[in-house]
Amino acid sequence: MIGSAPSAEARQAVRAAAQWLALMESGSANERDRAELQTWRNSHSSHEQAWQKAQVLRQRFAELPSALAMASLDRPQESRRTVLKRGLGAVALVPAAWLISRQLPLEVWSADLRTATGEGKTVRLADGSSLQLNTASAVDIDLKKRWLKLVEGEIALSVPGISPLTVQTHFGQVVVSQGEVCVRQGQTGCKVSVLKGAVRLQPLHGPDFSLQAGQQVSLKAAGAGAIEPFDVLAPGWREGVLMAQNQPLGDFLRELSSYRPGVLRWEPALESLRVTGSFRLQDTDRILALLAASLPLEVHSRTRYWVTLLPRKNSV
Amino acid sequence: MSDAVMPEEQSFNDLYRDHRGWLEGWLRRRMSNGHDAADLSQDTFVRLLASSQRIADLQEPRAYLATVGKRLLTNFYKRRSLEQAYLNALALLPEDCVPSPEQRWILLETLQALDELLDGLPRPVRRAFLWSQLEGLTYQDIAERLSVSERTIKRYMAQAYEHCLLVTL
Repeated sequence: MIGSAPSAEARQAVRAAAQWLALMESGSANERDRAELQTWRNSHSSHEQAWQKAQVLRQRFAELPSALAMASLDRPQESRRTVLKRGLGAVALVPAAWLISRQLPLEVWSADLRTATGEGKTVRLADGSSLQLNTASAVDIDLKKRWLKLVEGEIALSVPGISPLTVQTHFGQVVVSQGEVCVRQGQTGCKVSVLKGAVRLQPLHGPDFSLQAGQQVSLKAAGAGAIEPFDVLAPGWREGVLMAQNQPLGDFLRELSSYRPGVLRWEPALESLRVTGSFRLQDTDRILALLAASLPLEVHSRTRYWVTLLPRKNSV
Repeated sequence: MSDAVMPEEQSFNDLYRDHRGWLEGWLRRRMSNGHDAADLSQDTFVRLLASSQRIADLQEPRAYLATVGKRLLTNFYKRRSLEQAYLNALALLPEDCVPSPEQRWILLETLQALDELLDGLPRPVRRAFLWSQLEGLTYQDIAERLSVSERTIKRYMAQAYEHCLLVTL
Protein backbone atom coordinates (compact mmCIF):
# COMPACT_ATOMS: atom_id res chain seq x y z
CA MET A 1 0.00 0.00 0.00
CA ILE A 2 2.66 2.44 1.05
CA GLY A 3 6.03 2.29 -0.62
CA SER A 4 9.35 2.64 1.10
CA ALA A 5 9.69 5.41 3.66
CA PRO A 6 10.81 8.74 2.22
CA SER A 7 14.55 9.24 2.26
CA ALA A 8 16.21 11.55 4.76
CA GLU A 9 17.20 13.70 1.82
CA ALA A 10 13.62 14.12 0.63
CA ARG A 11 12.50 14.95 4.15
CA GLN A 12 15.19 17.55 4.49
CA ALA A 13 14.31 19.12 1.15
CA VAL A 14 10.66 19.31 2.19
CA ARG A 15 11.53 20.93 5.49
CA ALA A 16 13.74 23.51 3.78
CA ALA A 17 11.09 24.21 1.12
CA ALA A 18 8.51 24.76 3.87
CA GLN A 19 10.79 27.23 5.61
CA TRP A 20 11.60 29.07 2.40
CA LEU A 21 7.96 29.37 1.53
CA ALA A 22 7.07 30.71 4.98
CA LEU A 23 9.86 33.26 4.69
CA MET A 24 8.72 34.36 1.23
CA GLU A 25 5.11 34.69 2.29
CA SER A 26 5.91 36.49 5.51
CA GLY A 27 6.79 39.59 3.52
CA SER A 28 10.12 39.94 5.31
CA ALA A 29 12.23 38.39 2.55
CA ASN A 30 14.74 40.69 0.89
CA GLU A 31 16.58 40.53 -2.43
CA ARG A 32 19.34 38.44 -0.90
CA ASP A 33 16.85 35.90 0.44
CA ARG A 34 15.30 35.63 -3.00
CA ALA A 35 18.69 35.06 -4.57
CA GLU A 36 19.55 32.45 -1.95
CA LEU A 37 16.24 30.70 -2.55
CA GLN A 38 17.04 30.55 -6.25
CA THR A 39 20.47 29.12 -5.48
CA TRP A 40 18.92 26.55 -3.18
CA ARG A 41 16.37 25.53 -5.80
CA ASN A 42 19.04 25.21 -8.47
CA SER A 43 21.47 23.30 -6.27
CA HIS A 44 19.65 19.97 -6.29
CA SER A 45 16.78 18.37 -8.15
CA SER A 46 15.19 17.24 -4.87
CA HIS A 47 15.09 20.90 -3.79
CA GLU A 48 13.32 22.03 -6.93
CA GLN A 49 10.94 19.06 -6.66
CA ALA A 50 10.01 19.95 -3.09
CA TRP A 51 9.52 23.58 -4.11
CA GLN A 52 7.25 22.62 -7.00
CA LYS A 53 5.26 20.30 -4.76
CA ALA A 54 4.71 23.16 -2.38
CA GLN A 55 3.42 25.30 -5.25
CA VAL A 56 1.01 22.55 -6.27
CA LEU A 57 -0.22 22.42 -2.69
CA ARG A 58 -0.85 26.17 -2.64
CA GLN A 59 -2.66 25.88 -5.93
CA ARG A 60 -4.95 23.16 -4.58
CA PHE A 61 -6.09 25.51 -1.85
CA ALA A 62 -6.29 28.51 -4.15
CA GLU A 63 -8.71 26.65 -6.41
CA LEU A 64 -11.24 26.19 -3.64
CA PRO A 65 -14.16 28.56 -3.09
CA SER A 66 -12.83 30.16 0.06
CA ALA A 67 -16.04 30.62 2.05
CA LEU A 68 -17.19 27.04 1.56
CA ALA A 69 -13.74 25.59 2.15
CA MET A 70 -13.24 27.68 5.26
CA ALA A 71 -16.61 26.63 6.69
CA SER A 72 -15.78 22.97 6.04
CA LEU A 73 -12.11 22.76 6.99
CA ASP A 74 -12.27 25.13 9.95
CA ARG A 75 -15.49 23.66 11.33
CA PRO A 76 -15.89 23.66 15.09
CA GLN A 77 -14.96 20.40 16.79
CA GLU A 78 -18.05 18.34 17.32
CA SER A 79 -18.73 15.29 19.39
CA ARG A 80 -19.62 12.13 17.55
CA ARG A 81 -23.04 12.19 19.08
CA THR A 82 -23.91 15.61 17.61
CA VAL A 83 -22.62 14.61 14.21
CA LEU A 84 -24.72 11.49 14.15
CA LYS A 85 -27.84 13.05 15.56
CA ARG A 86 -27.95 15.71 12.91
CA GLY A 87 -27.56 13.26 10.09
CA LEU A 88 -27.45 14.54 6.56
CA GLY A 89 -29.98 17.25 6.00
CA ALA A 90 -31.38 18.98 2.99
CA VAL A 91 -28.82 19.88 0.39
CA ALA A 92 -28.43 23.19 -1.35
CA LEU A 93 -26.50 23.23 -4.55
CA VAL A 94 -23.55 25.25 -5.61
CA PRO A 95 -21.51 25.16 -8.79
CA ALA A 96 -17.91 24.14 -8.39
CA ALA A 97 -15.99 25.70 -11.18
CA TRP A 98 -12.46 24.98 -12.24
CA LEU A 99 -10.45 27.18 -14.43
CA ILE A 100 -10.54 26.21 -18.03
CA SER A 101 -8.21 28.54 -19.79
CA ARG A 102 -8.50 28.50 -23.51
CA GLN A 103 -5.17 27.46 -24.86
CA LEU A 104 -4.64 28.33 -28.49
CA PRO A 105 -2.25 25.97 -30.21
CA LEU A 106 -1.14 28.67 -32.61
CA GLU A 107 2.27 29.84 -33.46
CA VAL A 108 1.59 33.48 -33.92
CA TRP A 109 3.74 35.92 -35.83
CA SER A 110 1.36 38.75 -36.24
CA ALA A 111 -2.23 38.93 -35.18
CA ASP A 112 -4.94 41.03 -33.68
CA LEU A 113 -6.15 39.11 -30.67
CA ARG A 114 -9.23 39.89 -28.65
CA THR A 115 -11.10 38.35 -25.73
CA ALA A 116 -14.76 38.84 -24.80
CA THR A 117 -15.94 39.75 -21.33
CA GLY A 118 -15.33 36.80 -19.05
CA GLU A 119 -13.02 35.11 -21.53
CA GLY A 120 -9.31 34.38 -21.15
CA LYS A 121 -6.83 33.31 -23.77
CA THR A 122 -3.27 31.98 -23.81
CA VAL A 123 -1.13 32.18 -26.92
CA ARG A 124 2.36 30.90 -27.54
CA LEU A 125 4.23 33.21 -29.84
CA ALA A 126 6.60 32.00 -32.53
CA ASP A 127 9.67 33.23 -30.59
CA GLY A 128 8.80 31.14 -27.53
CA SER A 129 7.18 34.01 -25.66
CA SER A 130 3.89 33.35 -24.01
CA LEU A 131 1.03 35.80 -23.97
CA GLN A 132 -2.08 35.65 -21.82
CA LEU A 133 -5.08 37.91 -22.34
CA ASN A 134 -7.38 38.76 -19.49
CA THR A 135 -11.10 39.50 -19.89
CA ALA A 136 -12.21 42.07 -22.51
CA SER A 137 -8.70 42.68 -23.85
CA ALA A 138 -7.23 43.35 -27.26
CA VAL A 139 -3.67 43.34 -28.60
CA ASP A 140 -2.01 43.80 -31.97
CA ILE A 141 1.15 41.79 -32.40
CA ASP A 142 3.96 42.20 -34.89
CA LEU A 143 6.79 39.89 -33.92
CA LYS A 144 8.99 40.84 -36.87
CA LYS A 145 9.12 44.33 -35.45
CA ARG A 146 9.38 42.88 -31.89
CA TRP A 147 6.38 44.99 -31.05
CA LEU A 148 3.04 44.47 -29.39
CA LYS A 149 0.30 47.02 -28.85
CA LEU A 150 -2.08 46.74 -25.90
CA VAL A 151 -5.26 48.28 -27.25
CA GLU A 152 -7.37 47.63 -24.19
CA GLY A 153 -7.61 45.37 -21.17
CA GLU A 154 -4.80 43.39 -19.57
CA ILE A 155 -2.08 41.00 -20.67
CA ALA A 156 0.62 38.89 -19.08
CA LEU A 157 3.71 38.47 -21.20
CA SER A 158 6.57 36.07 -20.60
CA VAL A 159 9.67 36.59 -22.73
CA PRO A 160 12.42 33.92 -22.73
CA GLY A 161 15.18 36.41 -23.47
CA ILE A 162 16.20 35.91 -27.05
CA SER A 163 15.50 39.49 -27.97
CA PRO A 164 13.43 42.20 -26.26
CA LEU A 165 9.74 42.70 -26.94
CA THR A 166 8.19 46.14 -26.61
CA VAL A 167 4.67 46.57 -25.30
CA GLN A 168 3.12 49.81 -26.39
CA THR A 169 0.33 51.30 -24.27
CA HIS A 170 -1.54 54.60 -24.36
CA PHE A 171 0.65 55.83 -21.51
CA GLY A 172 4.15 54.71 -22.46
CA GLN A 173 6.18 51.67 -23.45
CA VAL A 174 7.34 48.59 -21.58
CA VAL A 175 10.45 46.83 -22.88
CA VAL A 176 10.72 43.21 -21.76
CA SER A 177 14.12 41.63 -22.37
CA GLN A 178 13.79 38.59 -20.20
CA GLY A 179 11.08 38.06 -17.65
CA GLU A 180 7.41 38.11 -17.03
CA VAL A 181 5.19 41.14 -16.72
CA CYS A 182 1.52 42.07 -16.37
CA VAL A 183 0.31 45.19 -18.12
CA ARG A 184 -3.17 46.55 -17.54
CA GLN A 185 -4.57 49.40 -19.53
CA GLY A 186 -7.31 51.55 -18.03
CA GLN A 187 -9.03 54.78 -19.03
CA THR A 188 -6.69 57.07 -17.13
CA GLY A 189 -3.52 55.01 -16.78
CA CYS A 190 -1.70 51.79 -17.22
CA LYS A 191 -0.43 49.53 -14.46
CA VAL A 192 2.75 47.52 -14.95
CA SER A 193 3.62 44.67 -12.52
CA VAL A 194 6.82 42.65 -12.89
CA LEU A 195 6.52 38.97 -11.93
CA LYS A 196 9.95 37.75 -12.98
CA GLY A 197 13.14 39.39 -14.17
CA ALA A 198 13.07 43.11 -14.90
CA VAL A 199 11.62 45.48 -17.50
CA ARG A 200 12.51 48.91 -18.82
CA LEU A 201 9.79 51.56 -18.74
CA GLN A 202 9.47 54.55 -21.02
CA PRO A 203 6.71 56.84 -19.72
CA LEU A 204 5.19 59.61 -21.86
CA HIS A 205 6.93 62.16 -19.65
CA GLY A 206 10.03 61.81 -17.52
CA PRO A 207 13.12 59.61 -17.76
CA ASP A 208 13.19 55.88 -18.52
CA PHE A 209 13.58 53.56 -15.56
CA SER A 210 13.76 49.87 -14.62
CA LEU A 211 11.23 47.88 -12.69
CA GLN A 212 12.21 44.65 -10.89
CA ALA A 213 10.28 41.50 -9.99
CA GLY A 214 7.90 42.23 -7.12
CA GLN A 215 7.47 45.88 -8.11
CA GLN A 216 4.59 47.64 -9.81
CA VAL A 217 3.95 51.13 -11.04
CA SER A 218 1.21 53.17 -12.73
CA LEU A 219 1.93 55.09 -15.90
CA LYS A 220 -0.32 58.09 -16.49
CA ALA A 221 -0.50 60.86 -19.02
CA ALA A 222 1.65 63.03 -16.74
CA GLY A 223 4.31 60.33 -16.24
CA ALA A 224 5.06 57.48 -13.84
CA GLY A 225 3.70 57.20 -10.29
CA ALA A 226 5.52 55.77 -7.29
CA ILE A 227 6.98 52.27 -7.44
CA GLU A 228 5.19 49.92 -5.07
CA PRO A 229 5.90 46.37 -3.92
CA PHE A 230 3.39 43.57 -4.50
CA ASP A 231 3.21 39.85 -3.80
CA VAL A 232 4.31 37.92 -6.88
CA LEU A 233 3.22 34.64 -5.26
CA ALA A 234 -0.38 35.74 -4.84
CA PRO A 235 -2.60 34.04 -7.39
CA GLY A 236 -4.44 36.32 -9.76
CA TRP A 237 -6.46 36.38 -12.94
CA ARG A 238 -3.82 34.31 -14.75
CA GLU A 239 -4.71 31.42 -12.46
CA GLY A 240 -8.37 32.32 -12.84
CA VAL A 241 -8.55 33.73 -9.33
CA LEU A 242 -9.81 37.02 -8.01
CA MET A 243 -8.17 37.82 -4.68
CA ALA A 244 -9.48 40.26 -2.15
CA GLN A 245 -7.94 41.18 1.13
CA ASN A 246 -10.09 43.34 3.30
CA GLN A 247 -11.16 45.11 0.14
CA PRO A 248 -14.16 47.48 0.04
CA LEU A 249 -17.01 45.58 -1.59
CA GLY A 250 -17.56 48.41 -4.11
CA ASP A 251 -14.01 48.05 -5.47
CA PHE A 252 -14.35 44.30 -5.51
CA LEU A 253 -17.64 44.42 -7.45
CA ARG A 254 -16.27 46.91 -9.99
CA GLU A 255 -13.42 44.48 -10.62
CA LEU A 256 -15.79 41.52 -10.71
CA SER A 257 -18.12 43.18 -13.20
CA SER A 258 -15.31 43.40 -15.73
CA TYR A 259 -15.51 39.59 -15.86
CA ARG A 260 -19.30 39.46 -16.14
CA PRO A 261 -21.34 40.15 -19.22
CA GLY A 262 -24.49 42.13 -18.46
CA VAL A 263 -25.41 44.52 -15.70
CA LEU A 264 -24.27 44.19 -12.10
CA ARG A 265 -25.60 46.86 -9.74
CA TRP A 266 -25.54 47.30 -5.99
CA GLU A 267 -26.94 49.61 -3.35
CA PRO A 268 -24.52 52.32 -2.21
CA ALA A 269 -24.99 51.07 1.36
CA LEU A 270 -23.02 47.94 0.40
CA GLU A 271 -20.08 49.87 -0.99
CA SER A 272 -18.06 49.91 2.24
CA LEU A 273 -18.54 46.28 3.36
CA ARG A 274 -15.25 44.38 3.40
CA VAL A 275 -14.35 41.31 1.38
CA THR A 276 -11.54 38.83 2.00
CA GLY A 277 -11.01 35.65 0.04
CA SER A 278 -9.92 34.11 -3.23
CA PHE A 279 -12.63 33.51 -5.78
CA ARG A 280 -12.68 31.46 -8.96
CA LEU A 281 -13.40 33.67 -11.94
CA GLN A 282 -14.70 30.79 -14.01
CA ASP A 283 -18.13 31.14 -12.45
CA THR A 284 -18.96 34.68 -11.35
CA ASP A 285 -22.53 33.70 -10.38
CA ARG A 286 -21.02 31.56 -7.71
CA ILE A 287 -18.83 34.41 -6.48
CA LEU A 288 -22.00 36.43 -5.95
CA ALA A 289 -23.57 33.48 -4.12
CA LEU A 290 -20.52 33.21 -1.87
CA LEU A 291 -20.69 36.92 -1.12
CA ALA A 292 -24.32 36.52 -0.14
CA ALA A 293 -23.35 33.62 2.13
CA SER A 294 -20.73 35.60 4.01
CA LEU A 295 -22.00 39.19 3.91
CA PRO A 296 -25.35 40.76 4.86
CA LEU A 297 -26.58 41.06 1.29
CA GLU A 298 -29.00 39.42 -1.12
CA VAL A 299 -28.63 38.64 -4.80
CA HIS A 300 -31.60 39.53 -7.00
CA SER A 301 -31.34 38.22 -10.52
CA ARG A 302 -33.92 39.45 -12.97
CA THR A 303 -32.03 37.49 -15.60
CA ARG A 304 -28.51 36.15 -15.56
CA TYR A 305 -27.49 39.41 -17.22
CA TRP A 306 -29.30 41.75 -14.87
CA VAL A 307 -28.28 41.32 -11.26
CA THR A 308 -28.75 43.63 -8.30
CA LEU A 309 -27.27 43.28 -4.83
CA LEU A 310 -29.37 44.59 -1.94
CA PRO A 311 -28.73 44.77 1.80
CA ARG A 312 -30.30 41.73 3.43
CA LYS A 313 -33.60 42.46 5.11
CA ASN A 314 -33.66 41.94 8.86
CA SER A 315 -29.94 42.61 9.04
CA VAL A 316 -28.43 45.67 10.61
CA MET B 1 -1.81 -19.07 -12.15
CA SER B 2 -2.76 -22.06 -10.09
CA ASP B 3 -5.90 -22.28 -8.03
CA ALA B 4 -4.01 -23.38 -4.96
CA VAL B 5 -4.74 -21.17 -1.96
CA MET B 6 -1.57 -19.56 -0.66
CA PRO B 7 -0.96 -19.94 3.07
CA GLU B 8 -1.35 -16.18 3.63
CA GLU B 9 -4.63 -16.14 1.78
CA GLN B 10 -5.80 -19.10 3.85
CA SER B 11 -4.97 -17.20 7.05
CA PHE B 12 -6.98 -14.23 5.81
CA ASN B 13 -9.95 -16.39 4.97
CA ASP B 14 -9.83 -17.94 8.42
CA LEU B 15 -9.56 -14.58 10.07
CA TYR B 16 -12.43 -13.18 8.06
CA ARG B 17 -14.63 -16.19 8.81
CA ASP B 18 -13.81 -16.23 12.53
CA HIS B 19 -13.92 -12.53 13.36
CA ARG B 20 -15.97 -10.57 10.84
CA GLY B 21 -19.21 -11.05 12.79
CA TRP B 22 -17.49 -10.04 16.00
CA LEU B 23 -15.98 -6.89 14.45
CA GLU B 24 -19.26 -5.84 12.91
CA GLY B 25 -20.95 -6.21 16.31
CA TRP B 26 -18.13 -4.23 17.92
CA LEU B 27 -18.61 -1.42 15.43
CA ARG B 28 -22.39 -1.57 15.59
CA ARG B 29 -22.27 -0.85 19.32
CA ARG B 30 -20.34 2.32 18.52
CA MET B 31 -22.42 3.49 15.59
CA SER B 32 -26.11 4.12 15.16
CA ASN B 33 -26.37 2.79 11.65
CA GLY B 34 -25.98 -0.92 10.89
CA HIS B 35 -25.08 -0.36 7.25
CA ASP B 36 -22.24 1.96 8.21
CA ALA B 37 -20.97 -0.63 10.68
CA ALA B 38 -21.02 -3.33 8.00
CA ASP B 39 -19.19 -1.03 5.55
CA LEU B 40 -16.53 -0.13 8.09
CA SER B 41 -16.04 -3.74 9.06
CA GLN B 42 -15.47 -4.57 5.42
CA ASP B 43 -13.06 -1.65 5.11
CA THR B 44 -11.12 -2.90 8.11
CA PHE B 45 -10.48 -6.24 6.43
CA VAL B 46 -9.59 -4.55 3.17
CA ARG B 47 -6.99 -2.43 5.01
CA LEU B 48 -5.58 -5.55 6.58
CA LEU B 49 -5.27 -7.24 3.20
CA ALA B 50 -3.52 -4.23 1.76
CA SER B 51 -1.13 -3.82 4.68
CA SER B 52 2.16 -5.57 5.04
CA GLN B 53 1.03 -7.20 8.28
CA ARG B 54 1.45 -10.99 8.11
CA ILE B 55 -1.86 -12.36 9.26
CA ALA B 56 -0.40 -15.64 10.51
CA ASP B 57 1.80 -13.60 12.88
CA LEU B 58 -1.14 -11.94 14.61
CA GLN B 59 -1.19 -12.99 18.26
CA GLU B 60 -4.38 -11.18 19.16
CA PRO B 61 -6.36 -10.83 15.95
CA ARG B 62 -9.33 -9.15 17.64
CA ALA B 63 -7.17 -6.55 19.37
CA TYR B 64 -5.57 -5.82 16.02
CA LEU B 65 -8.91 -5.58 14.21
CA ALA B 66 -10.26 -3.31 16.95
CA THR B 67 -7.27 -0.99 16.56
CA VAL B 68 -7.72 -0.72 12.81
CA GLY B 69 -11.47 -0.44 13.25
CA LYS B 70 -11.10 2.37 15.76
CA ARG B 71 -8.93 4.32 13.37
CA LEU B 72 -11.44 3.89 10.56
CA LEU B 73 -14.21 4.90 12.93
CA THR B 74 -12.40 8.13 13.80
CA ASN B 75 -11.89 8.88 10.11
CA PHE B 76 -15.52 8.10 9.47
CA TYR B 77 -16.62 10.70 12.04
CA LYS B 78 -14.22 13.26 10.66
CA ARG B 79 -15.55 12.78 7.16
CA ARG B 80 -19.10 12.90 8.40
CA SER B 81 -18.56 16.12 10.33
CA LEU B 82 -16.80 17.70 7.35
CA GLU B 83 -19.67 16.69 5.12
CA GLN B 84 -22.13 18.19 7.57
CA ALA B 85 -20.25 21.49 7.79
CA TYR B 86 -20.02 21.58 4.00
CA LEU B 87 -23.71 20.94 3.52
CA ASN B 88 -24.56 23.59 6.08
CA ALA B 89 -22.42 26.11 4.24
CA LEU B 90 -24.05 25.12 0.96
CA ALA B 91 -27.48 25.57 2.48
CA LEU B 92 -26.66 29.21 3.15
CA LEU B 93 -26.27 29.88 -0.54
CA PRO B 94 -29.18 31.19 -2.61
CA GLU B 95 -31.18 28.56 -4.44
CA ASP B 96 -30.81 30.11 -7.85
CA CYS B 97 -27.19 28.98 -8.14
CA VAL B 98 -27.78 25.37 -9.02
CA PRO B 99 -24.76 23.23 -9.93
CA SER B 100 -24.71 19.61 -10.95
CA PRO B 101 -24.57 17.11 -8.10
CA GLU B 102 -21.38 15.82 -9.69
CA GLN B 103 -19.58 19.10 -9.18
CA ARG B 104 -20.82 19.23 -5.64
CA TRP B 105 -19.26 15.87 -4.90
CA ILE B 106 -16.01 16.68 -6.63
CA LEU B 107 -15.64 19.63 -4.31
CA LEU B 108 -16.55 17.55 -1.28
CA GLU B 109 -14.01 14.91 -2.23
CA THR B 110 -11.34 17.57 -2.61
CA LEU B 111 -12.20 19.00 0.79
CA GLN B 112 -12.06 15.56 2.38
CA ALA B 113 -8.65 14.90 0.90
CA LEU B 114 -7.36 18.22 2.21
CA ASP B 115 -8.97 17.60 5.59
CA GLU B 116 -7.03 14.36 5.86
CA LEU B 117 -3.89 16.12 4.73
CA LEU B 118 -4.24 18.66 7.54
CA ASP B 119 -5.13 16.02 10.11
CA GLY B 120 -2.76 15.97 13.06
CA LEU B 121 -1.84 19.65 12.94
CA PRO B 122 -2.43 21.56 16.18
CA ARG B 123 -5.54 23.73 15.97
CA PRO B 124 -3.85 27.17 15.88
CA VAL B 125 -1.40 25.98 13.21
CA ARG B 126 -4.25 24.63 11.12
CA ARG B 127 -6.24 27.85 11.43
CA ALA B 128 -3.27 30.05 10.60
CA PHE B 129 -2.63 27.91 7.53
CA LEU B 130 -6.26 28.01 6.37
CA TRP B 131 -6.52 31.77 6.85
CA SER B 132 -3.42 32.23 4.80
CA GLN B 133 -4.32 29.78 2.02
CA LEU B 134 -8.04 30.36 1.72
CA GLU B 135 -8.57 33.93 2.79
CA GLY B 136 -5.20 35.30 1.75
CA LEU B 137 -4.57 36.95 5.12
CA THR B 138 -1.06 38.24 5.69
CA TYR B 139 1.08 36.79 8.47
CA GLN B 140 0.60 40.06 10.30
CA ASP B 141 -3.21 39.77 10.12
CA ILE B 142 -3.04 36.19 11.35
CA ALA B 143 -0.69 37.10 14.18
CA GLU B 144 -3.20 39.72 15.33
CA ARG B 145 -6.14 37.33 15.10
CA LEU B 146 -4.34 34.69 17.13
CA SER B 147 -2.63 37.20 19.45
CA VAL B 148 0.82 35.78 18.83
CA SER B 149 3.94 37.20 17.18
CA GLU B 150 4.53 37.19 13.43
CA ARG B 151 7.55 34.99 14.08
CA THR B 152 5.26 32.40 15.56
CA ILE B 153 3.01 32.55 12.51
CA LYS B 154 6.01 32.03 10.27
CA ARG B 155 6.90 28.98 12.33
CA TYR B 156 3.28 27.73 12.18
CA MET B 157 3.21 28.13 8.42
CA ALA B 158 6.50 26.31 7.92
CA GLN B 159 5.21 23.55 10.18
CA ALA B 160 1.97 23.25 8.21
CA TYR B 161 3.72 23.22 4.85
CA GLU B 162 6.18 20.61 6.04
CA HIS B 163 3.39 18.46 7.46
CA CYS B 164 1.39 18.53 4.21
CA LEU B 165 4.41 17.97 1.99
CA LEU B 166 5.62 15.04 4.09
CA VAL B 167 2.26 13.34 3.74
CA THR B 168 2.53 13.53 -0.03
CA LEU B 169 6.14 12.25 -0.20
